[in-house]
Parts: sequence; C-alpha cells; structure tokens
Amino acid sequence: MAQRAAVARRLPLRDRIGSITSGTLAWIYAALLVIPFYYFIVSSFKTNEEIFESPLAWPTTFDLSNFTTAIQQADLGLAVANSALTTVAALVLTLLLALPASFALARARGRAGKIVESVFALGFLIPSFAALFPTFLLAAALGLFHTRTFVVFLLPATALPLSIVILTSFMRTIPRELEEAASMDGASSLQVLRQVYLPICVPGIATVLLLNFLSFWNAYLYPLILIGPDTAQRTIQVALPTLKVDAGTDYGVLMAGTLFTLLPVYLVYTVLQRQMQRALLSGAVKG
Amino acid sequence: MSHGISRRTLLGAALSGGLITPLLAGCGALVPASSGSNALTVHTQISGAVAGAQVFSDVVAAYQRSTARKVALLKNGSDLPIVFETSTLAGKEADVAIVNMMGRTLSWTRLGATVPVNDYLDDWGLRDLIIPEALAEWTDDKGRLRAFPFTRTNWPVSFNTGLLEEAGVGAIPTTSDELIAAADALRSKGIGPVTVGGSDWSGQKMFLQILQGFITQDEARTVFSTGKISESPGAVAGVEHFVELRDAGVFVDNVQGYTSDSELTQFNTRKAAIVPAMSSALALVPNERAAEVTVGGWPMPSGGGVLERPSVIKSFNGHGIWISENGLKKLDLIKPFVQNLYTPEVTDEFILGSGRDMSRVTDTVSKDFPLVAQGSRLTDDDVTPVMLPDLLIPDAVFEPMIQATALAYGSAPADRIIDAFEKSYQAV
Repeated sequence: MAQRAAVARRLPLRDRIGSITSGTLAWIYAALLVIPFYYFIVSSFKTNEEIFESPLAWPTTFDLSNFTTAIQQADLGLAVANSALTTVAALVLTLLLALPASFALARARGRAGKIVESVFALGFLIPSFAALFPTFLLAAALGLFHTRTFVVFLLPATALPLSIVILTSFMRTIPRELEEAASMDGASSLQVLRQVYLPICVPGIATVLLLNFLSFWNAYLYPLILIGPDTAQRTIQVALPTLKVDAGTDYGVLMAGTLFTLLPVYLVYTVLQRQMQRALLSGAVKG
Repeated sequence: MSHGISRRTLLGAALSGGLITPLLAGCGALVPASSGSNALTVHTQISGAVAGAQVFSDVVAAYQRSTARKVALLKNGSDLPIVFETSTLAGKEADVAIVNMMGRTLSWTRLGATVPVNDYLDDWGLRDLIIPEALAEWTDDKGRLRAFPFTRTNWPVSFNTGLLEEAGVGAIPTTSDELIAAADALRSKGIGPVTVGGSDWSGQKMFLQILQGFITQDEARTVFSTGKISESPGAVAGVEHFVELRDAGVFVDNVQGYTSDSELTQFNTRKAAIVPAMSSALALVPNERAAEVTVGGWPMPSGGGVLERPSVIKSFNGHGIWISENGLKKLDLIKPFVQNLYTPEVTDEFILGSGRDMSRVTDTVSKDFPLVAQGSRLTDDDVTPVMLPDLLIPDAVFEPMIQATALAYGSAPADRIIDAFEKSYQAV
C-alpha cells in the first residue's frame, strides 16, 4: 500500500490527474451498474408498498416467499428447464458448425475463402425482426411450429455469423508452422483442428459460448411465436411476463422471478468470464 | 499455456449438454401437454399473477380428475392475442381461448379466427345462466355472439374515509364541487387527493369517464368511435370540466407520470385518499386498508352534466370463452368443459376464492374481498353506470390516445387536449 502511494507520488502531476479522473469515472460507472442491481436484489425481498415507499432501503426480512410465489405462479421451474434445453442444444450445434467452418476459413488463402467469409458477415445485415414472418412460415411448412426443435435449429443460424467471425479471427493468430508440423507428423485435417487449433482456441470458444448463451437465454420474440405458450415447452423469457398484470403487479414477485432467471446467466458468466477476458487481452496484444 | 478450463472439460461439457438435452426432452413434464389428439387445448389469459389464475388451474384440475378428460392449458399474458393469431395462421391454434375483448380480439369473429357461439348458447343450456347485458355486450353489430362472457369488471372509485376524516371531510364527495373542496382539505393535511395512472390506460379510462359526465351514452358511442370531440359540445364541456378539476388540484402531484400500479400503491400506502380502480385490482387492496375504505362512484359535475348520480364504469368485458376453428372439431370436448365453468360451484370458487366479478347470474358475493363486494353491491340507485369505451375505440388508436390523455394530466389547456385526442384517431 505504502509502496503504491510512493509510486503515485513519483508520477508527474498530469499523469496523477489522469489517473484520479479515470479512477473516479470508473467508480461512477461501477455505481451506475451496482445501484440498479442492488435495487433489483433488495426489491425481490420486499412488498410493493416497501418498494415504492423506500426503494433503496434494506429489506426488513429475507423471506423467500416472493421467489416461491414467482416460481409457482409462472411455472418457472419448467421454464428454466426448457430454456436450458434449447440453449444448451443450440450452443452445441453452433460450436459443431462454427468450429470447422472457422478452421476452414482461417486456413483458406484463395479468393473463395474471402467470398465465403463475406457471405457469413452478410448475416449481420438481416434484422432479426424482419426474418420473423419467413421463419414462421418455414416452421409451419416443416411441421415444426410450436416445437423446441425448430428453435434449436434456428438459434445457431442467427449466431453463426458472429461466432465464425470471432473464431476465424482467433484461429488466424495461430502460427501456420504449428499446423505444418502436425501435418508432417501425419495428422489429418480433423486431427489438426482437434489437437492443434482447439486447445489454443479455448478462450475464443469461451467467448463465443458466453455471447451466444446470453443471446439464446434472453431470446423472447422467436420462442414466444415459434415455441408457443404450452407450459411444458415455453422458455423462461416467455413465462416471466405472466407475472405482470394490468393492474396491481406485485413487483417483489416479478423481481424475484427475474432474479431467479438470472442465476444461470451469472453462473455461466462466472465460469466463462476469465476465458473471455483472456481472449480479449490476447486480441489486444496480438492485434 | 494454462487455462481455467481445459479443452477436455469444455468438450466434455458440450458433449454432456448434447446428451442431456434429448434425455431431458424425454422427461414427462417437458412433453407438450397439447400433443395428444384427445386433449382439449385451452389458451388462457387467466394465468400467472392474474387474479383467479390459481382458482382456474384448480378448477381445470378438478374437472380432469372427475371426468378423466385431458385438458392442456396454454398460458400467456397480454401477448396472448398475437400468439393465438400466429398459431391460427399455422392451423395450430388452441381449441378454446379465454381472453378479453379488446384491440386485436375484436376482429377475431369477423375474420373467422373464432366462431360465433350463438347456437351453442341454447344447445348447451347457457343462455339463462349468463347475465343478459353481458350477452348483449359480447354480441357484435351483426348479431354474432363472439364468445361466452365469463368474467366482468366493475370500475368504482374507492375513498379512504379514514384519510378523509383526518382532513375534516365527513362524507365521501358526490359532486365535483364537493370533490374540489375535499381535495383542498386533503392537500392542506399533506394527503394526496385522487391518484390515477396518468401515463397509461387507467388514466385514459378516468379521462373518458369524466367526459361521460357531459354526454349521453349515444353521444359517447359517436365520440369514442370517431374521436371527434370538437363536434360534440358535451364532450368539449367534459374536457373543460376535466381541466377545471385538474387545475383545482384534484389529482395528486405529478400524476402525469403515474401508472396503474403506482396509483394502487399510493392508495394502499395512504399517500392518496381516492383511487378509481377496477374490481380485479380492488381484490389486491390489503384488508387493513380495505377496512377504512368506502366504494362509490366518480363525483358528478355540479353543473351542466347529464348524470343524476356519481358514475361508475360497468362492463361485462372481462374474459370470454372463445371457440376456434380447430375447436369446431372438438365440440364434444368443449361442451362439458364450458358447462362446467358455468356451474354454480365454479362461479362461487371464482367469486369467493379470487374476488372476481363473474358474468354468470349469481347471488354469491365476495367475502374475503370486501371492496369487490362493495363494488358489486352498488345499484343504479347509488350510481349511474357509464360505458367502458374499449369496444368503440379502434385498435390502432389505443396507444396514441393514451399519449393524448397523458398530456391532459399535465398542464395542457382544453383545446390542445382536444386536438391531441382527435389526432390520435388519424392512425385509423
């Protein structure tokens, strides 16, 4: 501590001001994020009256009844299972498709590779809302309307452009000599992907997993229309709004329900965040 | 190079996910309830946190047990109409929909998404069980009964007599002059007078209710379906009356920013003494607060109005039981299900268990929901019923109109409010 203070004293005045300013801004930004999150958590233990009377006050009790009410009223247990089902299946499918595609694009040297890469990038240009009606027609034509299966196939399609861009960029940073050495040892393309590229790409894969997990887990419109309202199938984001009513919404219950749905997001983020940071740092150093 | 997660772990997790997914899919609870061809599918808005949701689930469960028939409940909130419509396009809509008649659902019968139920009303012996006014309200201009009316709504005004007494107001106000005097007295004691959701539909309903103090019901039909306030001297007087009340401080401060949720909370926490709220919301007022509340009507204009008594919005436009095109193939399953919903026992369960007002003829009055009971006891000798204009306002006008009425709760003069109101109908 004393050592850090001594270092700070040795810094020129301009740097010290810059350091203090950036530090202050960082704390303000952190507060901007923390205060709503704090409000969100404490509200899930309060009644409507307590929420509106003293929004930031500490709860008088940590009774979990709001959570049990939310889970029971909106069938959140089933909804979480459905969300987990569709999200995990879609993530697996995304990786199964994106990894070989990125591997091929990263190794490609010709014009065809660039064209294919551009085609994938075109996916960014399609607004998801605009694709809703054709997607609905497709689901109906395939006989997969009101099934999770269709959404499991659809979500990777929406995620592939970004996943391939990220993974391709990551794989391009891998020295080509490693691949050549493996090939000289007799490794097939699949072995090169599995034995050489994948171990090095773990931070990139984690990034893709995390970004796609957030996107899949939070999807609302497509699951609402395509999976439908059957409680045995509907996802968490479709179930949650049933806790909101026209008049007299119990915000404590609504907050508790929302917090319950955020727990998996927090868990996944905790597991994958270090890898994602590593990927970002690695990009910064190598870039 | 060392990583927090090994490649093996990551691949293992991915493969496990891939294996667990189909296993989970095989779990009984996750198998679609609507998948069986013998199941009656019911798409209901009486779900989640809506008053009566638990009663409805229990009633359906009991029906399944006693009849050994399978009923699959599909649940949505306010997004039910759009989900039902897209399902209809794919030919996979539920056999029965239980939803209110507002906005998109108004066109369902006309477009053939649902079938008129006139014939079944007599065949299934329901005509005498349902309040005749409810049947009239659910019948369109071509004589088609859109759906069986199930729940209904009262929209009385709740007065916290404890707070009024603290402010020295002995009786609940029944005229606008008395209301203004009561508001002054309440304000002098630091108590908010009337609270309402100025920024949403609850403020819109209040605004339209005040307008109806100066126009007959026939005039109201014209004004609300065309939006032409300026062509109706009565409606113009109604807007001016609204502005007079607003400027006299009848509404709580910053009412323009409140919602239907915040109005109820203000009332429940004694921040405001008066609230107009529909019966399903009154069921949510805690007993401690309800003990000091008297339910009545909105004070009639002291001069120039058309009302003889304070007004209350009365509507049979709660939830209705609609039959879809798919439902036509399962009428043998729908008939006993609907008949069961109109038995006295089920009606009592809804009234006593959830405080719902029902469209079925009944003498049962809510016991555990005293304000709902007070509201349902109001007769035409106590209040003058006025209409809920939802059936007349075109779907596309709803949101723009709410913006116009939110403007009215600010500081806009009458002519600007009228202009904004009329412009909201340009969306049609």
